[in-house]
Parts: sequence; structure tokens; C-alpha cells
Amino acid sequence: MKAKERRKSSWLWGLAYAGAFIASFAASAAFKMCYDPLAAETAADWNDAVGKVYTDIPYGNGPANMFDLYVPADGSKDAYGLVVYLHPGGFTAGDKAGDEKILKWLCAKGYVAAGVNYTLFSEENPDANVYTQSMEIKESIPFIQAEAGRLGYKLDRMAMAGGSAGHTLAMLYAYRDAASSPLPVKMVFGAVGPSCFYPEDWRVFGFDKNYGAAAGMFSVMSGEDITADMFGSEAYENAIKKISAVSWIDENSVPTVCAYGAHDKVQAFEASKRLDEALTRHGVPHAYIVFPHSGHGLQNDAKQARLYQDKIHEYLDAYMG
Amino acid sequence: MSLGKKRMIALLIIIAAGAVLGRLAVRAALNLLLGGTLFGGNFL
Repeated sequence: MKAKERRKSSWLWGLAYAGAFIASFAASAAFKMCYDPLAAETAADWNDAVGKVYTDIPYGNGPANMFDLYVPADGSKDAYGLVVYLHPGGFTAGDKAGDEKILKWLCAKGYVAAGVNYTLFSEENPDANVYTQSMEIKESIPFIQAEAGRLGYKLDRMAMAGGSAGHTLAMLYAYRDAASSPLPVKMVFGAVGPSCFYPEDWRVFGFDKNYGAAAGMFSVMSGEDITADMFGSEAYENAIKKISAVSWIDENSVPTVCAYGAHDKVQAFEASKRLDEALTRHGVPHAYIVFPHSGHGLQNDAKQARLYQDKIHEYLDAYMG
Repeated sequence: MSLGKKRMIALLIIIAAGAVLGRLAVRAALNLLLGGTLFGGNFL
């Protein structure tokens, strides 16, 4: 009888062990997925007293050519700074609605904030590429300025920002198009955006060993007919320059905050070193923040994430007022 | 040490192991997709 009870007890404890393991495993995994140590830093307590959102304002002929405008409730200032934040998605996906949180946070800080959609590369839009997308962003700025003005918000300065693909487009506008911008561009910030296209940097895709594949992808991205034998030549530099943000950096380039993951599998971390080097060489004030344990999601370095946040605050205060 | 005490210690060790492995599993999955190291950086 005693032996039978002992067996039953052991069996119940075995169940308890298994249940406890599964429960703690699942809870820990769920917590890891949901926990954002900096969530409070970029979360705005959003209500009508903070600001208002105007969505899907058109700026061009394409169905994707729309922007959302976030305006502060306090409309009493003589002029406002504009922060344009461009969405990620590998130039093929994503939407401005996905950046609602950061756009609200920027608006709560007193800026007029804009999220801009652009025509994504797809089967329906095979001619869309990084260059056409960057030109759409350029096209959108006067519309954003006009719409803000119509709502009673005069803009007198701007910052460009974005994540991943959006970061690339933000850098292109800030370094390539700033001189012709209707608003003076004061700074750019963003994370994990490809800034230049040299096959030897793109080891994550094996392009350092396969120039043909590199030529194919860079052709699609730029809309230029790039061939493998062009790499290293002036012809390649000229062909890729229009989507290579690094190529446009000079001593007049705007202050920059950028963050990159050292183990990025989605874009070339090595290319970001060229960005840092170009900004340093031309004496451009900048913060180049490397996340040593992270990839494209900047997911494993909370300390660096805090530093990135702090630098965005610092640069916005210093250059956007 | 009584059997009950031993079982409670084993239960605590299993809960701790589950918690560590749970977060490592998510981190490993994210690293697989995005890149990153399994150890180092933030624990949470």
C-alpha cells in the first residue's frame, strides 16, 4: 500500500515539475518578446490636449503617395520644426501607420511630425526602387509644408528620420537633397539603414564572393543596369551614387545620429563603418552607435538602446530647438 | 534533508531553468532572423 502511494506521489511530482518547467519557459519567452526597456521613453500619453492626427493626405499621383500629419495641440508658436519619420520594410513592405508610436512621441515633444508612405517594390510596381522612392519622399516635403501651413503650423526647419529602409531614404534626403529642400534640414537620425553598396561589405548576402548576384540586387535597388564587371570602377560609383547616402556626405552635411547592429543579417553592417568614416572625415557632428550583440532589430543591447535614445534627445534639442 | 525539501529545491531549479531557456529560445529565434549573439548584452 505504502509503495503504491509513493509511486502516485512521485508521479504527481513529476507532473508538477513538467508543468512548472512549461509555465516558466512560456512566461519567460512571452516576457522576452514583450519587454521593451525603453518603451516609456518613446511613449506619449496621447490625447487631444497633446496633439491631433490627420491621416492619408495625398502628395502625388500614386496610390501610395500619402502621409499622416501629427500636429501639437499647442498651436501658439510662431514656427515649428518638422520631423519626417519614414517606415521600415526592406523597400517592399511597411506602412506609416506602423510608426504611430514614435510619431506621437515626436509630436508630444512639440514638433510637427509626418509619416510618409512611398511606392513599394512589388509585382504590381516592378519599376519602384530605392531611387524612385527617395524622389517620392522629396516630392512629399512641399506638400507636408503646405498642409501644415493650412492647419496653422508654419514650419521653419526639419529633421529626417527613419528605420531600416526608411533610414536609407531619410539619409538620402538629408545628404543628397537638403540643398534643394524647401525647409532647412537640421539633422537626420535613424537605425540600420543601408548607406552604401559595395559588394565586399555585403558578406551577409555572399556578395563578396558573388559579384553577379550583387550586380543583380543593386540593379533592382537603383534602377540602373549594373553589371559585375563595373564594381570598383567610376562607372559604378556614378551609377550607384543616387542611392548611396555616403557618397553625398561633405562638410556641409547635417548632424547625424545613427545606430547599427554588429551582427546584422538583413543589411551590411560593414557599410555603416563607411558612413561613420565619411562623417568623421568631413567633420560632421555625429553619433555612430554600434550594438555589439545585436542584429537588424537592435534587440540585444539595452544599454546601447538607451544611448541611442539619449543621443536623439540631445541632437533634437541642440539642432531642432 | 527531507524528501519534501528536496522536491521543492528541484522545483525551484526547474522553474529557473525554464525561465532562462525560455528567454534564450526567443533570443535565438530573433538572432536567427535578424542576427545577434546568444549571450552578452541585456539579460531581459
